[in-house]
Amino acid sequence: MILVVAEQRDGILNRATWETLAAAQALAGDMPVKAVIFGQSVGTAAQEIAPAASDVVVVEHAALGTYTPDGFAIALQQVAISLKPAFVLLPHTYQTRDFAPLAALRMGAALITDVTGINGTGTAATFSRPMFQGKLSADVRPHGNGPVCVSIQIGAFRADAVKRGDAAAITRLDVNIDPSAIRQSPEAPFKEAKQAVDLGQAERIVAVGRGIKSQENIAVAERLASAIGAEIAASRPICDSGWLPMDRQIGSSGQTVAPKLYLALGISGAIQHLVGMKGSRTIVAINKDADAPIFEVADYGIVGDLFEIVPAILSELEKG
Amino acid sequence: MKIAVCIKQVPTREWQPRLNEARTWIREQDASYELNEPDAYALEEALRLREKHGGEVVVCAAGPARVQQVIREALARGADRAIHVEDDSLASADASVTSAALASAMGDERFDLVLTGLQSDDHGHAQVGVMLAERLQMPHSTIIMEVQIEASTGSGQAGRLRVKRELEGGWFQWIGMPLPALLTIQSGINQLRYATLKGIMAAKKKEIRKAPLPGGLTPSQQIVSLALPMRSKQTHMIGGPPSEAARDLVRRLREEARAL
Amino acid sequence: MTETLDVDVLIVGGGPAGLSAALRLSQLQKAHGGEPISVAVLEKAREAGAHTLSGAVLDLSALRELIPDYVAKGAPFATPVHRDHVYFLTQKSKLRFPIVPPPLQNHGNVVISLNAFVRWLSAQVEAEGVDLFTGFAGRDVLFDGSRVAGVRTGDRGIAKDGTRKSEFEPGVEIRAQVTIFCDGVRGNLTKELIRRLALSKDREPEQYAVGLKELWDIPKDRIEGGTVIHTLGYPLLEDQFGGGFIYTMPEGRISIGFVVGLDYRDPLFDPHMAFNRFKQHPFVTELLEGGALVRYGAKALPEGGWNTIPRTYMDGALIAGDAGAFLNSMRLKGIHLAMRTGMHAAEAAFEAIREGNTSASSLKRYQDKIDAGPVRAELYPVRNVHQAFGHGLFAGLAFSGLTLVTGGRWFENLHGKPGHERMKMLAWYYGLDVPASRTSNATTIDRKLTFDKLTNVHYSGTTHDEDQPAHLLVHTEVCTSVCGPEYGHPCVRFCPANVYEIIRDPGQPVRLQINASNCVHCKTCDIMDPYQVITWVPPEGGGGPQYTGM
Repeated sequence: MILVVAEQRDGILNRATWETLAAAQALAGDMPVKAVIFGQSVGTAAQEIAPAASDVVVVEHAALGTYTPDGFAIALQQVAISLKPAFVLLPHTYQTRDFAPLAALRMGAALITDVTGINGTGTAATFSRPMFQGKLSADVRPHGNGPVCVSIQIGAFRADAVKRGDAAAITRLDVNIDPSAIRQSPEAPFKEAKQAVDLGQAERIVAVGRGIKSQENIAVAERLASAIGAEIAASRPICDSGWLPMDRQIGSSGQTVAPKLYLALGISGAIQHLVGMKGSRTIVAINKDADAPIFEVADYGIVGDLFEIVPAILSELEKG
Repeated sequence: MKIAVCIKQVPTREWQPRLNEARTWIREQDASYELNEPDAYALEEALRLREKHGGEVVVCAAGPARVQQVIREALARGADRAIHVEDDSLASADASVTSAALASAMGDERFDLVLTGLQSDDHGHAQVGVMLAERLQMPHSTIIMEVQIEASTGSGQAGRLRVKRELEGGWFQWIGMPLPALLTIQSGINQLRYATLKGIMAAKKKEIRKAPLPGGLTPSQQIVSLALPMRSKQTHMIGGPPSEAARDLVRRLREEARAL
Repeated sequence: MTETLDVDVLIVGGGPAGLSAALRLSQLQKAHGGEPISVAVLEKAREAGAHTLSGAVLDLSALRELIPDYVAKGAPFATPVHRDHVYFLTQKSKLRFPIVPPPLQNHGNVVISLNAFVRWLSAQVEAEGVDLFTGFAGRDVLFDGSRVAGVRTGDRGIAKDGTRKSEFEPGVEIRAQVTIFCDGVRGNLTKELIRRLALSKDREPEQYAVGLKELWDIPKDRIEGGTVIHTLGYPLLEDQFGGGFIYTMPEGRISIGFVVGLDYRDPLFDPHMAFNRFKQHPFVTELLEGGALVRYGAKALPEGGWNTIPRTYMDGALIAGDAGAFLNSMRLKGIHLAMRTGMHAAEAAFEAIREGNTSASSLKRYQDKIDAGPVRAELYPVRNVHQAFGHGLFAGLAFSGLTLVTGGRWFENLHGKPGHERMKMLAWYYGLDVPASRTSNATTIDRKLTFDKLTNVHYSGTTHDEDQPAHLLVHTEVCTSVCGPEYGHPCVRFCPANVYEIIRDPGQPVRLQINASNCVHCKTCDIMDPYQVITWVPPEGGGGPQYTGM
């Protein structure tokens, strides 16, 4: 049985939970997939998951109302003892990174983090994960007797690939948590306007290169970026000229990103830039030069004038 | 305050990957090494806390002999002494083994605070810090941006920490914890100081305690093979006048790639 | 608060010359006992060896003297040299020299990675307890009047706009009784010394070449390790100095490169393109087929020989290694000479300090050791060779042949002109027919065999802290006024790392863009710029290439 640990905040499921369910279904083979939700008043979230799992286990406790690594690790360990899953899958979120290693160690379980692919099904499966900042991909086999814990990289599996069927039963599981065993005292989360933009978190990026020709023209790219909910980024020459701030730079002397969609406008694709973005899931390149190296890593390429093509894309988007 | 900083030596960012014959690990001869970037920020944070609250900073590292390079760098920047669990097998060890190796050498020291980087630039497991906390029987918090120490009241009670933890999407959270505790530190939270000439000279005289790798450690996972990520998709060139090309592209992005 | 340090001997540069000097000093200390002599070595790279590259084939004579038990100490050699070949290339074919000219016979020598060798040498030095300060660049010479008092290192933590960052550390003043300058080819500190103290008076002008090199992994059984190949001819013209080299190592690793004299006449010539063309010769293309590029690098070489060596001793200082132009351009070897002069400098400094007199007259014993020993014996007979090549390839070859036979006797000293003065203006070289293509020797780039500079630079591993002022000081009024029409902006072509770009934005005046962080510290620009308006100064310590294996 594969147990998926759902993540929620204030009763709302994190989208990555669906991606983890998709991963679990890919791994499962014949095994059933169950989901577990920790928290307080998570009934609605449980019902959302129900069509995608064979059982949804709700674990509610006062100590789990606010997330703490100690609370969640204790709860997960007890759930694992009770349900005896072969695998425990979690989304590779900041929260998972905060408590999963603790739970895994206490369970004597292997924890394979940041997994991008699953090879095979069931207990013979191996797991792909990036190493050396994405320069290499490792195929990893777990060892040991406990449940195999796996955290799934955000965006590696498609949330819409989750197979749905009849709504599963929702069961409750009680856990014992001694409040004094929780050593963290969290205060309420708050939002802060971050100084530097973190392109690493962006799902879509529109990047401009020399082909944009002038600072004023960047507005064209920005319109496209807002139309598709993307962040604006640039290759090095644009930032060197001061047309965009340095924290928008992608490449060996800037940030490395791997968003779902990367649109390269007027970027030639010098290797210094490619190393910063070639891990993106879908790469679209628009450039006048048919020999530009960017086309070697692009999924879709258009040889043409970006000043004609981008407006055409904008009108297409408005239609849809 | 007795502060430990766990540091790791990793291949430099510019290193081009080359694999050994069996493709189970990298070819180390071709690599140049440097201090893992998040660990550098952890070290800087520790040095600042020592400047503010007094005490000593001890760097702890697990790895082959070449790890001396980053230990000396940390000592040159101002750490007081070092602990090195030396063994060649630690170069490719998983988080379970690495945390056990470190804990075996650190346990008796009774550190008040342990800082690690949030993850390493080579393995990227993001597990050693949390596992080490458990092995040292300390509470932990991860991806920390700011550390405030509320000193002990002096009546035998240990002090307390208040730390700012980074959440996704621009959210943050303050967390209170008792000392001793372990924190994994986010990159970029402070400005790294340079090693001075005097610091480099003094580093040569500072103690580096060698500790043996404990026996009986079993790995929790194994790398079956390493590969350069392959691009399985072909480049699809879209032709035609701009309006047609745009239409084709948008359709494919929506239906094929599901990127819009 | 400026940090200061006082030592007895300061060695600037942690390459073969500097490290040999440091090691020799500790040997002398041990042998003679007495008052301990404090030694410090400054190296601008993050680790010793990171900025060093060469072909390289090492003459073991100096190493045998410095470290007799080098084998037991694990000196890293790739392979002994098993065979030498010299070829004359035409565009499509090659002619083998039936006899390898004696200076190019390498029997008894070894193929090495200079980077690996220097790393090993630095470990020997550190084992002796010598302070090796890596990541510290010598920025200015400290003078007491005309006496060299030491060196000031560069400030660290200055932002691009010149303001101090919060982690700012001022440069350190290191004062020494004797400073041994081993700052390499066209070393910025040696350049300052030469200028301030007129050290080149009565000497021939310095001559340079630039060496471009790549490390490749090719299928293992294609060519035997220990093969040393030198080529002349294609793709260079008769009036261009240089040639190719291929040194093979075990396991399919090969070192391949091309040397171009920095005295070519054609302002539209690009040395890096010549290297690409060399690789496109069928013989080379076949050799590299199916292989992979591992690393790239470039560095200048001091080619002028004996008559261009400046005065190398002065009050409080000595100059050794490439900085003093101690390179045998006929044998294409300089490492053993760097080591030997480093050792002589150490001996001279030691004796002078023990006698309590570090004035020029006392330190002159350094020159005496050079004159009396193998350094002069090797360099004097071939003193005119490079200058002879100034008259063309065949004249140079003929002259070299004669030199061999006569041992350099009978000839008056030939004179040379500084290389950058030989570059002709566009109108002089091309008349009215200036070609539209801005590079006269351009060729196709496929990014598998041949590469554009930007891709190549990626493989040099060069990085610099981005937020610092550009370390290439240029009088840009020249760039925006006369250089274009007169020479066509040759910096764009002679820099092997794409540091210089001329930007012609529509409606904007032409401007020079300096991509300082691409710099591989080769010094070509400082040497070759026809107006001499480019000055290379060291960037913040630690920045630069990462020549692992080179």
